Amino acid sequence: MPSTGSGAIAARAQVRELIGQKGHAVDNARAARARLETAFAAGDLIRTPFLDQALGDLSTALDQEEGQRLGGKSAEASRFILRAVDRALDDA
Amino acid sequence: MGRAPLTDEQKKRVPPGQYVTEKFPVLHYGSVPRVDLARWDFKVYGEVDDPFTVTWAEYQRFPRKAVHTDIHCVTRWTKLDTDFEGVAIQHILGRAQLRPTARYVVAHCEQGYTANLPLAVLDDDDVLLADSFDGKPLEPEHGGPLRLFVPKRYFWKSAKWIRGLEFLDHDQLGFWERYGYHNDADPWREERFADG
Repeated sequence: MPSTGSGAIAARAQVRELIGQKGHAVDNARAARARLETAFAAGDLIRTPFLDQALGDLSTALDQEEGQRLGGKSAEASRFILRAVDRALDDA
Repeated sequence: MGRAPLTDEQKKRVPPGQYVTEKFPVLHYGSVPRVDLARWDFKVYGEVDDPFTVTWAEYQRFPRKAVHTDIHCVTRWTKLDTDFEGVAIQHILGRAQLRPTARYVVAHCEQGYTANLPLAVLDDDDVLLADSFDGKPLEPEHGGPLRLFVPKRYFWKSAKWIRGLEFLDHDQLGFWERYGYHNDADPWREERFADG
């Protein structure tokens, strides 16, 4: 059952705004992930299996080991995952 | 000094929308995993009668096979006349004794990366578990110590840093396929993205 109420509406809108904002996809992904985690923690949105997997995949894409640069596909992976997150937000 | 113009024969080997490079671009997301070969293993499981796990030392005793062919990346580069070497996938399939129900495979890799293929695509003479490129051990940036090598598909299906093969009776989308890359990835059909 998707979350309802003003908190859910605001959280979805803000996550979508972060996904769609101008700037580097990796930065947008980090901001959107943080907002989503806040919404989950506050109980405004519920975790779905798909969003859990997407956030896990996003963490791998954004993971930057010491001494390494992020891989060249991190930005593309972020874009693709965020699009899927956007589509899945209404179920959360 | 640019590269020599392609011959007519070479041009025919370049799928639509691709350009030829002599470089070997490094493309991955996240970080290159640090692999400890002393702790490394490779698992084959799922719809098989003889699931098995091998260490790096055991893997190196498998029979070797070399493949000379072209590779094609979804990001539009094609590299002609590459030389990869490793273990023929047929050796793995034979040892695992696939059940008749095995129709798909998921390659499981470091960091949770996955790529999926139909068994009909995996079971091909040019498919390898590749550990060598151009006569040298595969560099970590290119998937070393071991990557899947499926040259008839865009190269994301040739999953880097592979750690296992899971055989399934149903298709299960891999990482890129889950988020919008084409499930079939045939470069000759330009199957790059699911939405075209």
